[in-house]
Amino acid sequence: MIDLLQTLGSGVLVGLVYALLGLCIVIIFKSSETFNFAIGEFLIIGSFLFYTLFFNETIPWYKALQLGAVIFLFFSFILFYDKNLRLRIALPLGMVTGFLIFCVFFFGLKLSSLITSSFLRFAIAFPLGLLAAGLFGAMVERVTIKPLLGRSPIAMTIVTLGLGFFLRACVQLIWGSHAYPFFLDLPDITVEVGDLLFLSDPIWAGIISLIIFGLVIAFLFRTRWGLAIRATSEDQAKAMAFGINARFILLLVWGISALCIAVAGIMISNFGALQVSMGFVGLRAIPVVLIGGMDSIGGAMAGGILVGICEALAGAYVEPLGLVGFKAVAPYLLLLIVLFIRPYGLFGTVRIERV
Amino acid sequence: MLTVENLRVVYHDVISVLNDVSLDVKAGEILIIIGANGAGKTTLLRTVSGMIDFYDGDIIEGDIKMEGVSIRGLDATDIMKRYGVTYVMEDRPIFWYLTIEENLKAASFSRWNKQIKTDMEKIYDYFPVLRPQQNKKAGYASGGEQQMLAIGMALMTRPKMLLLDEPSLGLAPLVTEELFDIIRQLNRSGITIVLVEQNAHAALNIGIRGYVFETGRIVLDGTAQEILENEDVKEFYLGSGERESKSYKDAKRYKRRKRWL
Amino acid sequence: MKKRTFFVVAFILALVFLSYGAVCAKEIKVLAQFPMSGPVGSLPEFGWGFIDGMNWVNGEGRGVNGKKITWYLEDFRYDPTVEVANFNKYTAEHSRDELLIATGYITGGLKPLIEKVNVEEKIPWIEGSYSTEIWGEKGGPSKYPYYYSLGGTYGNQIKLLMKWIKDNHKAKGKPRVGFVYSPTAWGRDGTPEGIAYAKKLGFKVVAEIEYPYSATAATNECMQLRKAKAQYVVYHGYSGATAHTAIFFKTAKKILKDVQLMGTHYTTLRFTILTGQEAFDGYVGVSTRPIMDAVPRIRTPMDNPMVKLAHNFAKKYRPEEYEKGLKAGGIKEMFLYTEGLMYAFLIQNALTDADNKYELNREGIKMALDNMVWDFNGMFGGKSFSWKSHTIPMLRLYRARVEMVKMGDKMVPTGGVVPISNWINTDEIKW
Repeated sequence: MIDLLQTLGSGVLVGLVYALLGLCIVIIFKSSETFNFAIGEFLIIGSFLFYTLFFNETIPWYKALQLGAVIFLFFSFILFYDKNLRLRIALPLGMVTGFLIFCVFFFGLKLSSLITSSFLRFAIAFPLGLLAAGLFGAMVERVTIKPLLGRSPIAMTIVTLGLGFFLRACVQLIWGSHAYPFFLDLPDITVEVGDLLFLSDPIWAGIISLIIFGLVIAFLFRTRWGLAIRATSEDQAKAMAFGINARFILLLVWGISALCIAVAGIMISNFGALQVSMGFVGLRAIPVVLIGGMDSIGGAMAGGILVGICEALAGAYVEPLGLVGFKAVAPYLLLLIVLFIRPYGLFGTVRIERV
Repeated sequence: MLTVENLRVVYHDVISVLNDVSLDVKAGEILIIIGANGAGKTTLLRTVSGMIDFYDGDIIEGDIKMEGVSIRGLDATDIMKRYGVTYVMEDRPIFWYLTIEENLKAASFSRWNKQIKTDMEKIYDYFPVLRPQQNKKAGYASGGEQQMLAIGMALMTRPKMLLLDEPSLGLAPLVTEELFDIIRQLNRSGITIVLVEQNAHAALNIGIRGYVFETGRIVLDGTAQEILENEDVKEFYLGSGERESKSYKDAKRYKRRKRWL
Repeated sequence: MKKRTFFVVAFILALVFLSYGAVCAKEIKVLAQFPMSGPVGSLPEFGWGFIDGMNWVNGEGRGVNGKKITWYLEDFRYDPTVEVANFNKYTAEHSRDELLIATGYITGGLKPLIEKVNVEEKIPWIEGSYSTEIWGEKGGPSKYPYYYSLGGTYGNQIKLLMKWIKDNHKAKGKPRVGFVYSPTAWGRDGTPEGIAYAKKLGFKVVAEIEYPYSATAATNECMQLRKAKAQYVVYHGYSGATAHTAIFFKTAKKILKDVQLMGTHYTTLRFTILTGQEAFDGYVGVSTRPIMDAVPRIRTPMDNPMVKLAHNFAKKYRPEEYEKGLKAGGIKEMFLYTEGLMYAFLIQNALTDADNKYELNREGIKMALDNMVWDFNGMFGGKSFSWKSHTIPMLRLYRARVEMVKMGDKMVPTGGVVPISNWINTDEIKW
């Protein structure tokens, strides 16, 4: 019994992280009917941005310069793109931001020398890293997805595939591809009751993922911007006709998505180390969203937890029977069963039909 | 108020939809645009409201002016915010999976402020059927309610000019009548209205002036009364011309065009 | 007309001249392949070592009796198919007389190439993998006459760990051993031999866990080991440079508190200290090499001549990278650099031997390698080996000692792997 509890518990904790991954796919899918295959690369880049801030890691000047230049170009691009306006704002803002990014990455944030408490350091670097990740996601959307707005969603999906390869190569160029040590040193909250043992890291991962999940949902369902996102998700043309800037909303969605992926990436990296090849974790989102339903936010949560539990159960009860490696297949088996019964996933939208 | 000059629009760089369309809308009037399917009415509205980019269309010639200022190439949101032109798309452009209240809120996104609540109350006064269903998903409302919601949403943007694209589509005659009443009321409250309709008779009855579109050109213009009395219009749009037996063969476009031009 | 004739003649002459030159100046060509990128991480150190070594060989080292070696370096991204394809490409492009030695680095690439290397091409192949299947009891020179390895097989490595358990087991009852390995050709190699030997010694093998490539957490694996009450866990099949190793050690340290973690050669590295930090403390592992690197690098023991040589090489030819260390673009692990360097020296040695004593062709080099007696620059405690068995049967046991030290404003791990045994010749052990 305790055994089962243990397995289920650890499954749920990891499942919460998967749910967050699923959420990132779902919100992008809802707003642009695109499946973001570059999720793994978003995960790595988000984690690396956080890593750079948190561990006071600096990168060589020419790479920092490149990053700064890219950010500068982005800002110029994003603002110049609006043909009529904002010429005067774009240039200085881009320059200032580019310079700041350059400074941060070249000199480091020096957080560790300023703040001794690792938890406080985390509390400062975490939002900053996430902000950077979100900005990065927005930038990617602007450059690759926006030009395709109004075209077939398949086109965008294919673009994300190519984007994945490109970004992976970029990460390898800037950070190399070996494993980076990753210790968040969050307060130890290990739960140990008798035989029951839950480690501190997965608990933190579960809690933080849950919080971020809740924040995103609150944002979507409680704020005006969230309403605009939901409206745009339904129909971009209608939203535009009612004065919602669908292009900006898409940018926002990609930003939020990249931010959430970064959270998942940081939490998963904290289990071990940060490495380019950890990007495959992002593909866990596929069974998660397909089980939960491609367009259901609640489904992402359910799918994530189901996949987590399924993996844990398979690992704990099926593998010892001699089916070695079954754990990696189990979520897909579950997916197959779910799709047989409900082709749109467990919580996939049932189309509204008027009677 | 709105002037369109020699407008020429193509979709996907090849499909020419509007050819040399020139028209003007005077402030405070109800302008009726009628025409067969594929005549370019919807394209005209998309172009004016700045949505044409989204459908991969291009303005290759001509200009659109709002009170003398060119708005060609502006974003849909910019046109709406600055010039108060709101485009109500055909087929009830509401968000099906949001509740009616959320729909109204979403529509007021571009001018979010304290007055939203009072504005919403106003909409509910205009369309009392919506009030009891506030928290119902819009997709479950009836066709008439949905169309009213759509117009209500358009009003939430505080428009100076409404571009209505076939609001009567798929509605029962009684509901259509009610709808047109509301449109007339809106017009009286100072909103200029451009109404694209297939239901030509009803539309022309509330309209002041009208244009007839045919394969991307304007073939006839005049006051609503003039158009109503035109023989060809009677024959092909109002269905109340001479009582001869007509076959589709006779309805061929080029024949009619010959008579008009 | 005249002009055209002139050009045709000139062209033919040029062709003849070129081909004559090509026939006459028979080059000595060498192909080296390393996994410098890919899933195990970015390890350009292999290449740097090989390049520096080869440049030295062709310069100060005077090549093969004055003749220069033309070398080719390929990165096969830890992908067996790429390794095989590269090899096929080079053997097709270059004649048998010229391409004399090839090297490889992973177990997965060895098996598909058995036929090609040993039967068709008959080219001496120096390998970085310690596959039990190829060099163990069931393989060996009689079966795979052209494969050469540079260390004791994985099977022997795990068996040696079992032997260590037998000698050091203090708790009551029979030792309970768990095995965790990767689902790769590498991970599956050697584990069965180790398990069989453990059973022969009377141990209880309580768990055999395949630790998947797609793992994000090792909680389940570790809980399984805890449930099985394992006392010793052998970890095999992922290099210390991957995140998997870090995940496993970090989790295992917390869940399996009193368990002795053990591992094979590629885990007993400086990398694991850096990524696993405290969790790596106390680990017992086998290695086929002396200590190459400690954290910080200054603390590396320099008593081994080959290690000293490698560090001097790195300082001389790659000062910037040597200085950078773990930062991007630095030499993160001297083992890798040394490995590349040693390949260069070994190739020079073999070619020179072949040139002096036999013929400078593939057969001659095979003879030279078979009869070579070399101390590998004193790498294995100054002992020389004959390479008759095509492996170097030397292994050594190490224990990891890691201490967290406050350095500036960060806590950094310091320490290294410390030898806890002498060099052990596995050929001399009675298993």
